[in-house]
Amino acid sequence: MFSTNVWTWIAALLTLAIFSFLYRDNPFYRFAEHLFVGISAGYGVIIYWYNNMVPNLINPLLNFGHAWPHVSKVWLDGLVIIPGLLGLLFFFMFSKKYSYLILLPLSVILGMENGLSVPTYLQAEVIKQAQGTLQGIHTPFIAGQTFFMVNGLIVLVGVIGTLSYFFFSREHKGVLGVSSKVGIWFIMLGFGASFGYTVMARLSLLIGRVQFLLTDWIHLIK
Amino acid sequence: MIWLLKLFKIDRRILFLLIAAAVIIPLVRPLGLPTAVTPHAQHLFDAVDRIPPRTKPVLLSMDYGPNVMPELQPMSMAVVRHCLARKIPIIVMTLDPNGVGLAEDALHRAALEYPDVKEGVDYALAGFKVGGYLVMISIGQDFQTTFPTDAAGHPSKEVPILTNIKNYDDIALVITIAGSAIVENWIVFAVTRYHATLCAGITAVSSADYYPFLQTGQLTGLLAGMKGGAEYEQLLANNDLSHAPKRASQGMDAISSAHILIIIFIILGNIGYFLGRRKKA
Repeated sequence: MFSTNVWTWIAALLTLAIFSFLYRDNPFYRFAEHLFVGISAGYGVIIYWYNNMVPNLINPLLNFGHAWPHVSKVWLDGLVIIPGLLGLLFFFMFSKKYSYLILLPLSVILGMENGLSVPTYLQAEVIKQAQGTLQGIHTPFIAGQTFFMVNGLIVLVGVIGTLSYFFFSREHKGVLGVSSKVGIWFIMLGFGASFGYTVMARLSLLIGRVQFLLTDWIHLIK
Repeated sequence: MIWLLKLFKIDRRILFLLIAAAVIIPLVRPLGLPTAVTPHAQHLFDAVDRIPPRTKPVLLSMDYGPNVMPELQPMSMAVVRHCLARKIPIIVMTLDPNGVGLAEDALHRAALEYPDVKEGVDYALAGFKVGGYLVMISIGQDFQTTFPTDAAGHPSKEVPILTNIKNYDDIALVITIAGSAIVENWIVFAVTRYHATLCAGITAVSSADYYPFLQTGQLTGLLAGMKGGAEYEQLLANNDLSHAPKRASQGMDAISSAHILIIIFIILGNIGYFLGRRKKA
């Protein structure tokens, strides 16, 4: 009835060791937890080394001389030394005297990320979403679909209410007070939806482990 | 009402046991509750189904690790099965270092169920790439430079499914199944910058964050949590595309019974709280 695969047994026993924390903290749980952290870190380092460092830095540097006399290829391969050295500057975080040197790679990363992200994020997350807020109430006049108009109005009221709740430059009285109260209701509904989804997510993880124990380990279900 | 106040002080381990029972019993003795398919899941299914066989491929990015496997792996399996059953070429990649084994497992396990599909022609594992959104930009510029080889080390120019892909224009549909906010990067870079068509499969925790992107059309379809996986499995079964065990659908009975129990806990907890407050007053 039980699995004969030794790896399934190890996975099952480690799962039970983690579940034992529900009763109380114990050495089995701590062993499984530390094992998981250690293996994850080791696995991550190896994967990053062979998928990033070796093809993008080590190999081009090792092949540097081999590309001769193709001068352009030599230059291209040789250029990886620049990001390589910039990356190595991060290790100066361990030195009190030279720790300021890590600002150099950081500034390169921040500059590049901002340059790449800011215009596109603005377009995708602000302009497009603002359009989407008004899209719902605009649709019915074209298509004559009342449901979308009602839906669009709810979205519009929710967005304006929520934004006014986070407007702190004036006291929440009068129109702003009403609007911010409407905003609170929408925020609460949002939190409720998120909480419900979170419960479902956590239960799914439990179900996944129980399915593994019942299916792969003790073969109780197929 | 004193018994209710006593109930309020119940040992939390008894609640854990009740939740365990609510999960285990429906798994062993299924209740057979129906799974309703939401329009967003249907849109994702249709987006895949519309692609003509052996033309432009689907790019499936499995951006998650084993920590969210129960929620997301059934979705990935279902999408891969759908493509293989319809002979829609599928390229699987991952931006999560822990996703390599899961991607390999999903692809090879599904391929065994469809013996007439060929590796390199109908499916390929492009593997893991470091860089997150930089990889998305890089695919938009030159796919061949981003993935010079497949995961097994074969040059992409020698793998038939990969040979003719230059950028997103040569990809029919991008699907990201993700356990993090990386979906947002796909929306920003693949959709906004390179006008790719994007669908997403996400964990239930982050579902509420992504509905606005459906309304704006930045996402074409969406699968949310284990329920999303169960919906896709249901659609595959309805269209006679897969007869494999439906892992997510099996879990839906357990989710429903546990949810009912949690609702009861919340109601009792609130009654206990208000009774306790009244007693204090």
